[in-house]
Amino acid sequence: MTGLLTTLHDFLGETFFYYVLSPALKIAVLLILVLTLIAYTTFAERKILGFLQVRTGPNRVGPWGLLQPLADVAKLLVKQDIIPDRAVVWAFVLAPCLVVGPALVIFAVIPFGPSADLTGTFSWFITDVNVGLLFVVAMATIGVYGIILGGWASNNKFSLLGGLRSAAQMISYEVPQGFALVVPLLMAGTLSLTGIVDAQLEQGRWFVFGFFPFGFLAFFIYFVAGVAESNRNPFDLPEAESELVAGFHTEYSGMRFALFFLGEYANMIVISAVAVTLFLGGWHRPFANVEALSFLDLGFLPLGLGSFFWFTLKLLCFLFVYIWFRGTFPRYRFDQLMDLGWKWMIPASLIAVVGTALFKIVLA
Amino acid sequence: MRRFLDKIMLLDLFAGLGITFRHIWKRKVTIQYPEERIEPAHRFRGMFRLDEDRCIKCTLCARDCPIDIIYIDWHQEVNPETEKKEKLLDRFDIDVQRCMFCGLCEEACPTNPKSIWLTTKTYELASYDRWQNLYVDMEELEGWKIRPQYTDDEVA
Repeated sequence: MTGLLTTLHDFLGETFFYYVLSPALKIAVLLILVLTLIAYTTFAERKILGFLQVRTGPNRVGPWGLLQPLADVAKLLVKQDIIPDRAVVWAFVLAPCLVVGPALVIFAVIPFGPSADLTGTFSWFITDVNVGLLFVVAMATIGVYGIILGGWASNNKFSLLGGLRSAAQMISYEVPQGFALVVPLLMAGTLSLTGIVDAQLEQGRWFVFGFFPFGFLAFFIYFVAGVAESNRNPFDLPEAESELVAGFHTEYSGMRFALFFLGEYANMIVISAVAVTLFLGGWHRPFANVEALSFLDLGFLPLGLGSFFWFTLKLLCFLFVYIWFRGTFPRYRFDQLMDLGWKWMIPASLIAVVGTALFKIVLA
Repeated sequence: MRRFLDKIMLLDLFAGLGITFRHIWKRKVTIQYPEERIEPAHRFRGMFRLDEDRCIKCTLCARDCPIDIIYIDWHQEVNPETEKKEKLLDRFDIDVQRCMFCGLCEEACPTNPKSIWLTTKTYELASYDRWQNLYVDMEELEGWKIRPQYTDDEVA
């Protein structure tokens, strides 16, 4: 593997290798991995929800139902793609892309592993932007435009209501989420995602446990706001089926609907990945500064796969919690949702920010 | 104080999460239908069965049927052996499509044991053709002794 990379490097020249070939390859691999993960998250969701409700979930397609996502994709691809007569076609077509695109773009800055392996030619992320966190927040916010646009373009009252709800909800939850993100920022002193992970190793603790209880408070607020941001239960008001049929994607069918779905799950994964990076030590094993536990690094695996393993493990835990929430909590009423966002989470996140800042000043 | 703590620590929410988490490991109640089947309860009202020998052709069942889906025609004939008049059934049809399995026909039947009854424990009445399979005549009603047995091909 390393030999092949060196040969390619010599053959293509430094610039082409580092700025074209290597990112292109990584993007391809990452897209395939992420889309597979999304497909199997839907499967895991159905399976775990089934288990929660004391039934077995899908188990007919393939052994233990493992080929169910493939069957779902095939079904969605061949279904008729309906565009309503009075819909605004360009917006109707654009909306799903606006949901999926930004969600997938965020994966470009998420570090799945350390910056270099032993040969110094390989890093576990596509790019390390020095304002990575800002980029993540900016991109995550664009997704809401897709939902509003889709709701408006469908020319359907339920869709419109769903879109408006999602606008109100996302704006109110953007604020506490932003404040919660300031806390690890204050602790690490950098916006770069790899920088934040390294800071957690240096300071010898995950930021969830930093400056107790403010780190934990910020983590909790970030995750709850993240659930609301990705329109998942118990905050899935934009698509509340008991009131709004299916909300903003009522009129969507076939692959366009699948794109909305894809966007929702991609958002889930992004929010989990950012939470892992900022609060749970990123790709490092638990107790990363304890030498005695260094066998947990899985150093025998090539190319630093061990760090990738730890990152994925933490990510999957988060996805499980998402599904667990969905199986447990009933949907909030809209005014309760707003109440929670503005009256509880924003003050709490402000307290976390101020508390962290005070800690910093006192310790300095 | 307790309520305040509840509100701050979200104790009730975590209690809910605990309950659902425990349910993940429980034994599943799902029955894999075509391969496994439930044996219906003893008095389960399933498909009809008719015993022509017990039937006295009184048509009480047809009269008691709230939606009139039992069609009975009969005529009288002298039995050459016993030289007595006997009623013979020409037609005993039930339009099962509209039947709600109320069991009033069974209750109305004056014979003992009943000559029309519903406890055959057959609930697999789905069919592709409503007139072919859900309009049952006398012979079918008499022949329907047990639940239909399925071959392996049909199950798969």
